[in-house]
Order: sequence, then C-alpha cells, then structure tokens
Amino acid sequence: MELSVNGQAHNLDIDEDMPLLWALRDKLNITGPKYGCGIAMCGACTVHIDGQAVRSCSIRASEVNGEVTTIEGLGSPEAMHAVQSAWKEHQVAQCGYCQPGQIMSAASLLARNPNPSDETIDQAMSANLCRCGTYPRIRAAVKTAAAKMGGA
Amino acid sequence: MKFQKSITFISALCLVSGLTLAAENSTGPIADINPPAKGTVTEAQALEAFARIYEVASHPRCANCHVGEDNRPRWSGPSYAPFPPGQNWRYHGMNVNADDSRIGAETMPCSTCHQTTPDLDSAPHSPPHFGIDWQLAPVEFEWFGKSPNEICEQLKDPARNGGRDWMGLAEHLVMDAGHRGPVLWGWSPSGDREAAPFSLQQHVDDMTIWGVGGQPCPKD
Repeated sequence: MELSVNGQAHNLDIDEDMPLLWALRDKLNITGPKYGCGIAMCGACTVHIDGQAVRSCSIRASEVNGEVTTIEGLGSPEAMHAVQSAWKEHQVAQCGYCQPGQIMSAASLLARNPNPSDETIDQAMSANLCRCGTYPRIRAAVKTAAAKMGGA
Repeated sequence: MKFQKSITFISALCLVSGLTLAAENSTGPIADINPPAKGTVTEAQALEAFARIYEVASHPRCANCHVGEDNRPRWSGPSYAPFPPGQNWRYHGMNVNADDSRIGAETMPCSTCHQTTPDLDSAPHSPPHFGIDWQLAPVEFEWFGKSPNEICEQLKDPARNGGRDWMGLAEHLVMDAGHRGPVLWGWSPSGDREAAPFSLQQHVDDMTIWGVGGQPCPKD
C-alpha cells in the first residue's frame, strides 16, 4: 500500500489492519507520534491527515486517504511552526511524552480557528491528556501561537 | 476530510419494487420494508410496536448521540459503568462536545477519533466507527432521557423528524443501514458494546406497523 508522510511517498508491505501509528513508528521509523493508550483516549499519537488532527492509533494505515503530517513534518528546529515556537517560548513540556500530540492538535485547531477563546482551546484540547499537568502552559502557548499566526 | 474508502463491496442501494424497499450488500438484503395492509393493524398492536420502537430509541446505542442543546454525547449502558452516584450515565469522556455543528467542527471534530469506514468492528473501549461521518443526530431528535410519549410525539412530527411520514422514517432506517451508518451499527456495535434490542428488520417492521396503525402515542 502507498502512504504519503511529510511529503514523502512510501510503499509499504503491511497487514491491512495495521494502525497508522504502528506503520509510522515500526515501519517508517517516524517516532514523533507516541503510543499512549491505543484507543484514542489520550491523544499522544495525534497526527494530521490533510491538516485535520487524527488519532493515528485508531485508523488503519490502509484506510488513510490523504497526506499524513507528523510532528517531524510540521516544522524543523531551524524553521519551527508557530505552535512549536510558542511551545518552546512557554517551556510547555515537562516529561514531553504527550507534547507531539498536543502540538499537532493545537496546530489543527488554529488552522480552523485562528483566534480561539480560552474555552474553545480547553474544549479542543480536552482529549489530549498531559499527566504532568501542563494545561495552563498549553493554553498560553496556543494563544501565543495564534498571535504569531496573526489571528489574535 | 473523507476517510471513506471506495465501498465497492457494498451496493448501498435501495430497490424499490411496489411497496418493498430493501438495502442490500453483497451478502443480501439488510432490511426490507413490507408494511401491513391498510386497516389490518389495531391501535393496541400499533402501541405494542411503538413500545418496541421506544426500547430501541432509548437504548444507549441510539440515545447516547441523540442528545439536546448541550451537544454533549453521553456514555450510558453496561460497557460504560460505573457511573456517578445516583445516575445511570455519564458524559462522553474527555469533556467531548460536538458543538452547534453537531460534528465538532468548531473545536474537535468527531472524526478525530471516530473514523469513517464501512468496517463496523472496533475493539472494546476504542472509538467505534461506521460508514458515514460520526456525528450527533439533529438537536430536534433529542431522545436521551426522554419519555415514550415525548419520543413518540417527536417521531410523528415532520417539523422535528426531518419532514418524514412513517414510510419516510422506515426508508430512512433502510437507507442509513445501506450506507453502513449508525442504524446498522446499532445492532452490530462490536467491542463488547450491548447491541440495540430486537433487530434492524424488527425495528423497520415496527415502524410500519405503528404507521399503518395510525401512529398512536402512549400516555406517560
């Protein structure tokens, strides 16, 4: 099967029911998306498909119909996405495990809503869990990113 | 965004032949519409049919996403216990809210987790999926926590049921099932989830029995 990830086309010989997360991590060695719960309840595995946040643990790679973007493709250390830059500015991460998923969800939100309220941020990010409890910093970073992107 | 693959193995079509309408897939009809002849259904029989309709409509597989203006899907039913003291349900985890769009477009789309796929099988506690985009039913179709009379009056009111008569309701069931949508999933939820009672065919039959019998509503 064919899969396009971060602008690069791949041809994978995998089981039809392999989740996208497994294909990314174990077959393509793209390890930014993390395994947390495996049932779309924590958000650590979040990637984009055609720009929308999707839990990669809960969609089969064979069912992906669009361009996959992972945290590795969102930006680079030299050219960070506004959300990544804001995350660094606010030093959001503590242990960091959930942060790729947090950032991908935040970037997807801002693409749809460039100037979200605190309530909207909380609601949109509510299914991305952070056991370190960095939620206040996440909200602040999303607002900073919105400002960087010209929405606030 | 559409994840829906080409559903070539499904012929989600409705075959209209006289008064018979069926949704088919490669293995045969999913459900048929065969209404009883006019004048053959008593009010008592129609009320019995509606009692079964109510059991379906109020079942967690159906009612959890037929919620009101708060746009918050519910988690009820045996697979979601335990519940807060004094109630037999809780809100969908993670504070999920489908917004006024009823599909989460304003904040977190339902399709972030609930993929669109003709495959109805999903693991316990994982996000279930079916062949059309996951979403809440329109707000006028509020069933969660509603009484038999309230659901009955809603179902027979074209202003609150999508402009349908009883045949339109039966056709809606068959059409949705033909697309492998929530109606079909309700009886095949997989993942240790309790299926809706009776069967899709029985539900379609009950809709036509209730309709031919004059759509009587029980008193609460």
